[in-house]
Amino acid sequence: MNNNNVLWIFLANLSLVMGLGASHAYEVGNVQTGGSIHGRVSFLGSPAEPIHFKVEKNPEVCGQERSLVKVESRDGFLTGAVVVLEGINTGKPFSPKTFTGNLPGEGAFRYLGGGSLGLQVKTKGCNFGPFTGVIAANEAVQFQNQDSVKHVLHSFVSKDTRGKILRTVHNQDLQPRDAIERVFPSDKMEDGVVVRIICNRHDFMQNWLYVVDNPYFAISDQEGRFTIDQIPPGTYTLLVRHPVLGEQRQVVTINAQEDLQMVFQFADE
Amino acid sequence: MTRSIRYLFVGLIVGIFGIVCALPPTEAALLDGFMDGVEESLGKKAEEKGERLVIGNFYQAERPDSHAPIGVMQDHTHNKGEFMFTYRYMYMYMDKMRNGTDNLSNNDVLKDFAVTPKNMTTQMHMFSAMYGLNDTVTLMAMLPYLMKDMEHQNRAGANFSTNSSGFGDTKLAALWRLYAFETPSIGSHRFHLNTGVSLPTGDITPTDNTPLGNNSLLPYPMRLGSGTVDLLPGLTYTGVRNDVSWGFQALGTVRIGHNKQGYKEGNRYKVNTWGAYRWADWISTSARLNWQQWYNIKREDGQLQTTVGPAQIPLVPTADPDRQGGQRLDLMGGVNILFPEFMGLENHLNVEAGAPIYQYLDGPQLRQAWSFWVGWQMVM
Repeated sequence: MNNNNVLWIFLANLSLVMGLGASHAYEVGNVQTGGSIHGRVSFLGSPAEPIHFKVEKNPEVCGQERSLVKVESRDGFLTGAVVVLEGINTGKPFSPKTFTGNLPGEGAFRYLGGGSLGLQVKTKGCNFGPFTGVIAANEAVQFQNQDSVKHVLHSFVSKDTRGKILRTVHNQDLQPRDAIERVFPSDKMEDGVVVRIICNRHDFMQNWLYVVDNPYFAISDQEGRFTIDQIPPGTYTLLVRHPVLGEQRQVVTINAQEDLQMVFQFADE
Repeated sequence: MTRSIRYLFVGLIVGIFGIVCALPPTEAALLDGFMDGVEESLGKKAEEKGERLVIGNFYQAERPDSHAPIGVMQDHTHNKGEFMFTYRYMYMYMDKMRNGTDNLSNNDVLKDFAVTPKNMTTQMHMFSAMYGLNDTVTLMAMLPYLMKDMEHQNRAGANFSTNSSGFGDTKLAALWRLYAFETPSIGSHRFHLNTGVSLPTGDITPTDNTPLGNNSLLPYPMRLGSGTVDLLPGLTYTGVRNDVSWGFQALGTVRIGHNKQGYKEGNRYKVNTWGAYRWADWISTSARLNWQQWYNIKREDGQLQTTVGPAQIPLVPTADPDRQGGQRLDLMGGVNILFPEFMGLENHLNVEAGAPIYQYLDGPQLRQAWSFWVGWQMVM
């Protein structure tokens, strides 16, 4: 190897290290005079009928028939919209939260919180958890299978809110009563907006997890409401995402101890 | 032509190593990241139809046709951490001598040779294992146990048989996922590279009692291995759409150097194409065309007796290194059965049988009459 080659390799590595250094990971810090956002997500139109599945594999555990509700709304308000505040590098710690599935089964997304998101996916009754949730790149996600049957966890990442082009991240057996940890690495998640998880054996098991890099997120409840608090003053982009209805975004400025009221409206396409 | 094919395969091997060396340290299909234009175009078409384009690894053991017909090997890659064990049994029957595409009688052969083969059976028990090392590479190991039996007739009309048995050459392979994509309307399409090596564990000096004497060295077709380290490059494509699946595979066996007996078996190239239809969740049937070309032996085994008597009459065609090559096109039909899952294991029982529809031999050589495969595959 001649000196020129060594020089080029050194420069390439240097630029790589500098590039990595430029990306800023989230850090937990004090938020003394944070503001908050309260809001509601409404849905105009009639939600699509649930998709019904006749269960072919493991009906003794999964049930004979299952259905999947992709757009869930009540009295004109949307459940399961993922609200994310982008561009915050320092702030409150991740809060522990648990969201359970709204379908038959007792699947749940549990976020342990602290310095990182700490996502645990509890699979029970052939249900991974609610239709939507959040996920963080580069940290281990624990997938638990509390069922007595095998699931095949197939996860994809997409750069698009609706997941028009999906790329496999993991395709992995989830053995009965077993748990595995998988990292969604940054090289596979580059520009990734959403992770879709499905079970290759049970086609009604489908979930969408939006990528977050800070704890400033919320998921709209059954009345379409969401709250994000302890936000450091500043100007950010607020995104509302749904795998069927798409994405809306708005630039917001948060002042100290201010409570900002926001309304988002999605409609049938 | 031979040289061109050799260069093609050497080029393929060099290309494989080039790609592998250029790989970023990630577990992805080799062409991920190089197909943006294709993905954009496919993604647009999928969107127009209200579909999603999925790129990635779609191996699913839960279809009867998730594996190619049992006579095809290295046809699929596995998910990370997945094991598959396979047992295959093959029975092949060869009868009648042939030169080119003409069948010969025993007397035709005995005009030029002291002995003619009459028929031959080859049985093989093949044990293989596959393991999904990561999302890029699936490892595979294959160990065959062979039993060969050949009937002969000499000019005096006397019949005798020889047989050999033992482990054959051990094959180790790495299957590299190249690319895979899927939409509901066009189905799923998967590509992988086959790379492998065959290690010379098979006996190339089998002996048996013959009219020439006890423990005579048996000729080339009765040997259990090549005696050389062989490279096994190839390319595989498989597709699935609803109840139909199909595939294409080109595989080569490229011999490196000469064996301890001083000869080198000819290279062998195979092209397989197949289609299968899933009649129910548990059963599919398949049809397969398998084209093979193999070449004559280079140099010769100096210890093998090739002539007999003071007149130096050629002994038997199977001892002639220049009468070993040929081409053949086989038509095979098969059935794949998927058993109900048992303790988290997917079990497949696959059967396939067929016969050549074209056979050109650098003969006189025994022609293949038919072959039969049965295999059990267990995915865990």
